[in-house]
Amino acid sequence: MTKIWNEAGFVTDDPWVIETEDAKAGSNEKAILGLDDFLAKVSEGDETGLGVLINPADDVRRLEGHLDRIALVAVAFPAFNDGRAFSHASLLRSRLAYAGEIRAVGDVLIDQIPLMLRCGIDSFAVSNATALKRLSENRLPGIENHYQPTARPSQEVGSYSWRRRA
Amino acid sequence: MYRYDEFDHAFVSDRVEQFRDQVARRLSGELAEDAFKPLRLMNGVYLQLHAYMLRVAIPYGTLNARQMRKLAYIARKYDRGYGHFTTRQNIQYNWPKLSELPDALADLATVEMHALQTSGNCIRNVTADHFAGAAADEVADPRPYAEILRQWSSVHPEFSFLPRKFKIAVTGAERDRAAIQVHDIGLHLKKNEKGEIGFAVYVGGGQGRTPMIAKKIRDFLPEQDLLSYTTAIMRVYNLHGRRDNKYKARIKILVHETGVEELSRQVEAEFAELRDTELKLPERDVAAISAYFAPPELSPRAEGWANLAQWKKADPEFARWVQNNVQPHKHPDYGMVTISLKPIGGIPGDATDTQMEAVADIAEEYAFDEIRVSHEQNLILPHVALADLEPVYRGLVAAGLATANAGLITDIIACPGLDYCALANARSIPVAQELSTRFGSPERQAEIGELKIKISGCINACGHHHVGHIGLLGVEKKGEELYQITLGGSGDENTSIGEIIGRGFEPEKVTDAVEVIVNTYLGLRLDPSEIFLDAYRRVGPQPFKDALYGDKTAAAA
Repeated sequence: MTKIWNEAGFVTDDPWVIETEDAKAGSNEKAILGLDDFLAKVSEGDETGLGVLINPADDVRRLEGHLDRIALVAVAFPAFNDGRAFSHASLLRSRLAYAGEIRAVGDVLIDQIPLMLRCGIDSFAVSNATALKRLSENRLPGIENHYQPTARPSQEVGSYSWRRRA
Repeated sequence: MYRYDEFDHAFVSDRVEQFRDQVARRLSGELAEDAFKPLRLMNGVYLQLHAYMLRVAIPYGTLNARQMRKLAYIARKYDRGYGHFTTRQNIQYNWPKLSELPDALADLATVEMHALQTSGNCIRNVTADHFAGAAADEVADPRPYAEILRQWSSVHPEFSFLPRKFKIAVTGAERDRAAIQVHDIGLHLKKNEKGEIGFAVYVGGGQGRTPMIAKKIRDFLPEQDLLSYTTAIMRVYNLHGRRDNKYKARIKILVHETGVEELSRQVEAEFAELRDTELKLPERDVAAISAYFAPPELSPRAEGWANLAQWKKADPEFARWVQNNVQPHKHPDYGMVTISLKPIGGIPGDATDTQMEAVADIAEEYAFDEIRVSHEQNLILPHVALADLEPVYRGLVAAGLATANAGLITDIIACPGLDYCALANARSIPVAQELSTRFGSPERQAEIGELKIKISGCINACGHHHVGHIGLLGVEKKGEELYQITLGGSGDENTSIGEIIGRGFEPEKVTDAVEVIVNTYLGLRLDPSEIFLDAYRRVGPQPFKDALYGDKTAAAA
């Protein structure tokens, strides 16, 4: 079973559904559209608060110019070792200055969540049992000291320019 | 050398505890092997044929006596009393227990060492010229830049799940001793006409089953842009490198398939966005890191010249060792000593715990507490006064480390091969041992001169056979081991990939085949100053084919 987690805890009434051929958003739900469907939708009307899914091969920069219409970008990890979404999230935050929610979907594991947070991902669709258990215990296996600035704002530590602290 | 501050200590010890937690979850079954694998790999832990293997990082090959003693201690406590120095300036232990690995990492942390990113699809240990800071031809010491890259790449959240592993090498001299053109990124430190430091940037070199020489995409990258430009390359690779086939996932394939011009355009476009961000390196930070690598104060020791002449006259074996294993230092009263880990008939790169301790003692007493590991699997004492060479030599003789063969035919690089490695198709070590024994006589080696033999036990090419003057590749054919020979490879500033000379040889025939090649070379060289590689480049493969397979015999690969 998939639960949505963010740094405030588990989200109980999440409305988002990734739309596929078989799964459509119900009346109380909101659709996460594929990139092409999303681009079609924004060119047709002026709806805001949209959700869009960025798959690994997508060019996230195509969202430029539409960011004010987006409430959620889901970045996909079809397998935990496909790391493209780390770059997608980084670009969304630091290049496109997107300030809304970025959600990791797919194979989201506990040891990767601290890295995802640092790339600017701030919500997580989690189904892995260990990850759910650890998150419910609030035990993230992160490290406080970092050797590189990333999309998520962090403190400079007063020594070398590249160092940061959570 | 670089010393950890509190920030580094806290980072490494947090990382050890993080790994301890992962190991505990693995041992309890909570973490499946396939999810544990990338985590353990990023901490240097492989699962090999017989056991787990721990690969400890020796960043850019630099270490001190205290660290070397700790490596000896690890060998004794967690392994079987030896370690194996690798072509990437690391050390591997072949027999540790998984449950003890977190303790071994904690022990390493006490001497500012770790096993971070010595494996996995991330940015690996950054390597550099093993003569850095000592070589006469150096423009600038590459190690401060390698250290900055090491820090920046440590647990980089965006680049921890790349399509494949990623290796960066830095050299600071025209003479490339770091093989930068067979790395994913090769950086050549240089000065521009204004005297400013920067880098020529090479991308997409590599060995493995598809060897490729790196392409230069920048002639001069200013020092301050090191991290932003590297980030740009990494981001382009992370987004566009192939993930559908692990054998086509290295950046060399992306460069090849995209074309160097288009790839370079993508990198430059990304760099243009990153250039004026917080990734820009301030001069004061480069200066602060560089200060750690300030050369030791080398006082004049001119008496060494006369001493050396006398010692050489009195002891021909010492003279031979000096001739082969000592190279000129930028200070005329000093030399750079290569400690060969290639005893005749021995295992290339192996050292016992007591040998490591002996090297530590010698380094402390005579070599300003500095030791290097070379990518040719030897150890280096970069700063030794000529006046101290004799006692250094005596100490090495006592430890069984005075083999006088640096750069000669028995200074063989070999991967662990089928004796240890889960990937290998054939053995490498016994082949190296037999070749070493065959050519072991000092006279024979002196006659042959500079000749680099490199042996890989499978197509992954960890033994760098593609860039061996003579390369041997172990393959498996119909259940039998067979060795394919390549000639003319080189991993220096004139990098070339060796050419397959013809059909392979059975294990019992491969040493004879190499001897035929060597004798052919001796017969056709213009004079003894024309080394094997130059002769091969002059005459091409035909004379060697004829000698190996008979005149006009079609030598089908």
